[in-house]
Amino acid sequence: MKLQHYLGGLEGLGPVSTETRVFVEVWETRIFGIHTAMMALSPQLPLPETPSTFKTIWTWADLRKGAESLNPFDYFRFRYYEKWLGGISGYFIDNGYITAEELDALTEEYYSEPAKPLPDAGDEAIDQRVVQYLVEGDSPKRDVAVTFEFKVGDMVAIRNVPTIEHTRLPGFLRNKFGTIETVYDGAYTYLCDTGPDGVGAAMPVYCVRFEPSDLWPDNAEKNFSLYADLYAHYVEAPEAAEASKAA
Amino acid sequence: MMDRFHYRPDREAYSAARVKALEALLIRKGVITDRTVDTVLDFFETKMGPFNGAKIVARAWVDPAFKDRLVADTPKAIAELQLPEGMAGAEGEHMRAVANAPDVHNLIICTLCSCYPWPVLGLPPYWYKDPTFRSRAAREPRAVLTEFGLAVPDAVEIKVWDSSAQIRWFVVPERPAGTDGLSETELEALVTPEAMMGVAVARAA
Repeated sequence: MKLQHYLGGLEGLGPVSTETRVFVEVWETRIFGIHTAMMALSPQLPLPETPSTFKTIWTWADLRKGAESLNPFDYFRFRYYEKWLGGISGYFIDNGYITAEELDALTEEYYSEPAKPLPDAGDEAIDQRVVQYLVEGDSPKRDVAVTFEFKVGDMVAIRNVPTIEHTRLPGFLRNKFGTIETVYDGAYTYLCDTGPDGVGAAMPVYCVRFEPSDLWPDNAEKNFSLYADLYAHYVEAPEAAEASKAA
Repeated sequence: MMDRFHYRPDREAYSAARVKALEALLIRKGVITDRTVDTVLDFFETKMGPFNGAKIVARAWVDPAFKDRLVADTPKAIAELQLPEGMAGAEGEHMRAVANAPDVHNLIICTLCSCYPWPVLGLPPYWYKDPTFRSRAAREPRAVLTEFGLAVPDAVEIKVWDSSAQIRWFVVPERPAGTDGLSETELEALVTPEAMMGVAVARAA
């Protein structure tokens, strides 16, 4: 039960940030570049092989899992890119690319001498693949036949799937009812298999409309609708929800 | 939120040193090159950014039929324009535009993370990534928008779109009053990322 999966609708949080900058410190641009390169070089993509030594999987799912595995107070305590830096450093250590000791030691060196240059190295094929990744993207859409249980206008129930590590189901929608607004054409994978949570393989995705007074009775604003894009596994017929409750 | 927690006094200097050390080690170990990070950053200066979104919205303002096509099939409409390579690339593979109207105001959020339509808007601003925004906007969008200085009348319906799967949403704001004589290029200058995600409206200069 991770707070990070249940953020929608929390009370008592205080004012929002209205900061319009993407990065508030120059160092943040570097971890952004590293994350993007890792996604581009990740071996499951159908992109040309390069001399890069990066041979393990890294997708948005891995970045998200890192943030979701934090103590929830640390999730609020650390800024966005601080979370990235922690998660990505940990990944490179856990996967044996670097050791914690050498990262700590080199951090000390750059801390004492911030202008010390970076090393000078690398094959341009690596950078060409990174550009190709950005240009071509990584679509989750798959050319497989699937059956669509629902059509636009149908009322649906949102399942309370057994989530452990990661999910694409916003927690505040569990056990609620909504209406199908869009049936997206085709079938869509997710970047990883979420295990008991149930997404990963190609399946339909629905845009579902919710009534906030159902989500937060007597505790939501008026005259607004909330929509969420939900993988088919998270959605079931209301009769099925009733049946599993009765069971 | 930030005052509640303890931070090391050299918070930024430490992070700067640590990310530089990480980048150096990754270069040394052959994961990336010494140009990789800058290559990524350059891409967001020239190919993916709000400059694309501004062109798309300005075209929608001068050409109502284009606006209809943009909402009906967003990638297909975008492909009509002369925009840089990558408009259907990373984080733009499945984009969907929703249009504001006198009776409807759209707001895009991502309660699970920070999904954002990279090709048309580049990288997300801090406010969009703020867990407080992501949380509160789901339940009290009108109150959140007043904190951005935007008062949406009670009679206007707000539609909040939570980006929880493959779609990367953006908003086509309404063309502001007092812009009749402006060229498409002049109109582009009035379009902001905030207006294209729904925490602002476009205003005449």
